[in-house]
Amino acid sequence: MQTIKLKIKEEVTSGAAKIPVEVDPLTPDKLAGKTEAEIKAVKVWWGNKEENTGDLFDVSVEGEAGSAEEVKIVLEGDLSRVKHIGDGMKAGEIEAQGDVDMHCGAMMQGGRVTVKGNADCWAGREMRGGELIIEGDAGANLCAMYRGEMTGMTGGKVIVGGNADECAAQYMAGGEILIKGNTNILAGLNMSGGKIVIEGDAVMPCADMTGGEMMVKGSKVRDIIPSFRLVGTESIDGVEYKKYIGDLAMTEKKAKGVLYVK
Amino acid sequence: MEEGELLIRNGVVYDPINGVKGEKKDICIRDGKVVEEVKNPKIIDAEGRVVMPGGVDIHSHIAGAKVNAGRLFRPEDGRKGVKARTKVCRPESGYSVPNTFATGYRYARMGYTFVMEAAMPPLAARHTHEEMVDIPILDNAALPLIDNNWMTMDYVKSGDTDLLAAYIAWMIKATKGYGVKVVNPGGTEAWAWAKNCDLNDAVPYFDVTPAEIVKNLAVANEKFEMPHSIHVHGNMLGHPGNYGVTTSTYDLVKGIKPYRDRPAMHATHTQFHAYGGTRWGDFESKADVIADYINKNENVSIDLGSIILGDTTTMTADGPMEYSLYQITGRKWTNHDVELETGSGITPFLYSGKSPVNTIQWAIGQELALLVKDPWKLALTTDHPNAGPFIGYPIIISMLMSKRRRDESAEDMHKVIFDRAEYSSIDREYDLNEIAIITRGMAAKTLGLHEHGKGHLGVGADGDVAIYDILPEERDAGKIQKAFLNTKYTIKGGEIVVKDGEVVATPAGKTYFVTPECDEKLTDEMMVTLKDRFEHYYSVNFNNYPVQDAYVPNPYEIKAPWRS
Amino acid sequence: MVEVTDVVCSLCGCVCDDIVVEVEDNKVTKVKKGACAVGKSKLMGHGRIESPAIRENSSLKECSYDDAIKKAAEILAAARKPLLYGWSSTVCEVDKVGVELAEEIGGIIDNTASVCHGPSVLAIQDVGLPSCTLGEVKNRADLIIYWGANPAAAHANHMKRYSYISKGYWTEEGKKKKKLVVVDVRKTTTAKLADVFLQIEQGKDYLVFSALRALLYGYEDVVPEEVGGISKKNLLETVRIMKEAKFGIIFFGLGVTHTRGRHNNIVNAIQTTRAAHTHTKFSIMPMRGHYNVNGFNQVCTWETGYPFAVDLSRGYAWYNPGETSSTDLLVRRECDAALFIATDPGAHFPAESIRHLSKIPVIQIDPFPNPTTEFADVVIPAAISGIEAEGNVYRMDNIPIRLRKLVDTEYMADEEIMKRILDEVRAIREKEGE
Repeated sequence: MQTIKLKIKEEVTSGAAKIPVEVDPLTPDKLAGKTEAEIKAVKVWWGNKEENTGDLFDVSVEGEAGSAEEVKIVLEGDLSRVKHIGDGMKAGEIEAQGDVDMHCGAMMQGGRVTVKGNADCWAGREMRGGELIIEGDAGANLCAMYRGEMTGMTGGKVIVGGNADECAAQYMAGGEILIKGNTNILAGLNMSGGKIVIEGDAVMPCADMTGGEMMVKGSKVRDIIPSFRLVGTESIDGVEYKKYIGDLAMTEKKAKGVLYVK
Repeated sequence: MEEGELLIRNGVVYDPINGVKGEKKDICIRDGKVVEEVKNPKIIDAEGRVVMPGGVDIHSHIAGAKVNAGRLFRPEDGRKGVKARTKVCRPESGYSVPNTFATGYRYARMGYTFVMEAAMPPLAARHTHEEMVDIPILDNAALPLIDNNWMTMDYVKSGDTDLLAAYIAWMIKATKGYGVKVVNPGGTEAWAWAKNCDLNDAVPYFDVTPAEIVKNLAVANEKFEMPHSIHVHGNMLGHPGNYGVTTSTYDLVKGIKPYRDRPAMHATHTQFHAYGGTRWGDFESKADVIADYINKNENVSIDLGSIILGDTTTMTADGPMEYSLYQITGRKWTNHDVELETGSGITPFLYSGKSPVNTIQWAIGQELALLVKDPWKLALTTDHPNAGPFIGYPIIISMLMSKRRRDESAEDMHKVIFDRAEYSSIDREYDLNEIAIITRGMAAKTLGLHEHGKGHLGVGADGDVAIYDILPEERDAGKIQKAFLNTKYTIKGGEIVVKDGEVVATPAGKTYFVTPECDEKLTDEMMVTLKDRFEHYYSVNFNNYPVQDAYVPNPYEIKAPWRS
Repeated sequence: MVEVTDVVCSLCGCVCDDIVVEVEDNKVTKVKKGACAVGKSKLMGHGRIESPAIRENSSLKECSYDDAIKKAAEILAAARKPLLYGWSSTVCEVDKVGVELAEEIGGIIDNTASVCHGPSVLAIQDVGLPSCTLGEVKNRADLIIYWGANPAAAHANHMKRYSYISKGYWTEEGKKKKKLVVVDVRKTTTAKLADVFLQIEQGKDYLVFSALRALLYGYEDVVPEEVGGISKKNLLETVRIMKEAKFGIIFFGLGVTHTRGRHNNIVNAIQTTRAAHTHTKFSIMPMRGHYNVNGFNQVCTWETGYPFAVDLSRGYAWYNPGETSSTDLLVRRECDAALFIATDPGAHFPAESIRHLSKIPVIQIDPFPNPTTEFADVVIPAAISGIEAEGNVYRMDNIPIRLRKLVDTEYMADEEIMKRILDEVRAIREKEGE
């Protein structure tokens, strides 16, 4: 096992302007096999300039790794302006010890990302595999598609400890999401596959759904889309749920989504 | 070294317009033009490589309202072709709908120096020109749509082909266009009411048929010394069983005498018009029937509209066709009808080798090229981006040049290719001279541009040259494809613009436009009706309509005098 | 005195081009025909920024164009994340230089769509836009629906020139043979003219669109008795009118784009149009605000691949509104310099963004003083496009029209200002040896 600690330097986040650092080159698969000096020399974008990782982060490396699977990256300090953590990663582990900025775990294919705080918008965007754990809240567009795409998350597993903002899992086609808190409007929008469980409440869930399944365990589901058809009740794990099929606004032929509501 | 002199030495030259078929020959360029000899030039040693005139694309959608609507609604396509700026180049984006800069750079890297924008809505002509100015390197021109126009249909109905000629002359001048474009004649007007027209249906409210529109426009076009014929996208594009409509459309110009040595009709993206069957279930290739017609007749030239597998963005003034396509896919769909003139539709589409229909479409484009005997009758196109992006041309070139490549590719396609297309039984292989014909010679001649320095390397021609990194005897399809994607050198007007596949200079291109010179009395008579149309029905004032000179900063005017 | 005809109005997205004015002593002295009251007021002119100025010790000191341009270039060249914003009330020729400058400085370029019809653009990227030119509406439409839009106040000539009140080829009798449906949260001036007025509950547009779609596709059984404050009976009546129309059009405004659901409301409006199109001809169009807000989106799209909110930090375009859009950037305090051209963020942006703007260098280019002038560090006055400078603009229906120049001016045109800033930036870069 190898642990790479990256602690963001204070001067990076203390200016009048809080310019994000974009760390998509700092994933276990891209850093595996590199020495401490080599990691310090990896270029990352900070605004319109490429900087050395070592100039923006205190870098320390412990242990050795034979492959990316054996690499764990620990990000420390004020990470609220660190974007693209674990973007595109294929293996290994990243642990972010605090709130993180946008696109955390975007395009992830494998491995695990753990966020010890909140994650800003587009966490898990277009995720294909691996595991993303957000212990706090998730911003808008969690696990959604990129603008214009008709496919969002296709695989992998996501757990959000807190709430998720608007349009969580838009265009989700596969994979699993568990949200322990509430969701803002339009969770599961355009969903065509996969499974979402919301332990809290939801507003206007599953609009334009054509497939997949959502279960809302909270007691409040406000503004159910008026083009869903209530088809009966079902008992799941001893709890009675209303079962809706939708979205008929996509025409009956396409309305193959299932929504369970208490 | 003389400023402005260039000598390309030791190239094997394919210049079909001048009958040069792979001869070791020097090319001398001075001040942007091909000359007999140079005194003290900069020298490029081609070292036996293939040398051709700059490519000429007869039909591509690269600029204007619907191309940009395609870019705007596909950010997911935008991120596919991203390339950072360089010292010379501005940033690139997009695959099937590249930004203007990428469009210029990619064509130049393939050795092309002229591209015809194939559909310009007259009311939005300024938009087309604004974008063409922003496409680096390429010389360009655009064809205004003049077939679904109310004035056109009114004159067709009254039988006044002279007044019709006066109208098309005014439209071509007002739009700074190159000729007459026809797209689903009558059908696009019908689409304004969510309807469509077959060749002999009456257009709602106008009481003329598409067949009459095509015929009369061809007659009116030939009243001028127009460099190009009418350029026709016929009715029922993309419908199973449309091949009969296609040949009937071709028949319409039999007996119409063209002004010069070209047919009276150019029928575009023929692949989409060569369909048999009655529905998608029994869909089959009728490339053989279309090719047979072309082989036996002289009234029509064609371009291929050959399929490139993968995702693309379809776009055409044929609004009803795009709607049908969107109904099949359920993907995003943009429509934009243009008052008194035309319309357009745009929807993304995936051509998949696993689909039986797409497989047959894929075969048809190549079958047409292989079954039409005389390459001077056809041009290589993908109707960019409709059948696929232009960046796929090298794939088609490699297919046409290698039976082996075709056989290998067929193995990866749906098995329907072996029973509903002639594809596998055709042994013909194109040689480099034939490739030079379908990628530059034919297009230049059909557009009449060879008389203005395009598509050949005779003395006086533009110094537009492509040097491909292959030797004439190369038969390896992969190497051929690679060579045609990125030239060793592309030279535009005597200036090296691409070297070793990298763009090294980005001069501005010229815009070619035609000025048909109509009899004044006829123009005056037509103008009375035209001004009335503006007064009552257009939403733009007459005086704000014509494209101002400011939109064409690098003009090249071709005059087309009245003939009778 | 000279009479100038075919004058093009540089106010709103209607871009009326049939205006007649009188010009005397190099001034527009009278608007004789065509313009609405607001357009007229713009043509007649009002107070200007008098001189270029640079802020020193918290007050603006007048300076030469040269000095102001040089200072602006220095600010932009030194920035790590500069924002270039505005671009909607000027011509396309200027927008082109703006994109080039954004590439040169690795900045973010964004226009006012970001705070008005940006959501419409996002919706188009999800589902497309079945639409048409305004002349199509004039000649064919027998059903006009205004949803969250009040043209009687915001686009005064819209109904007269293009829609409900206009007369065209198949609509010779004007409004007599047309139906007008208005959907809004309150009874607006436009709503008072309507055959059917649907008063919708704030923030319930999304639900009403879904209900209409279900009804248009024939699933009456699933729709509840009331949706978003509108009875099922009224929804059914609206659907009947939609199906019976020969040519229907929905015009939508900021009342739909800026309420709960935002761009997804527009997705649903477009989906409703698609559903209606299975019965008859149906189109939809955003009521774009500034006269050339669409033009910037067009230019930015063909040059970068994306319509607005384009981040060129890495030397290529990255587009992600919500991240790369101006208000988000400023609220998050991401930018370290900003240039505003032909716009007034001081009046339109959230207070948090203004607080950040007060901490970073700000450049303003505008003919008129406005709240942004109060905190700008460099102020560069410009000629008024459409009166003192010509150029191309795009109407709300994508029709390009050329603004005319009516009078001469000593103010520098936006295009020249931008080109000179770009040249200065390049000179600085060259010196730095980049």
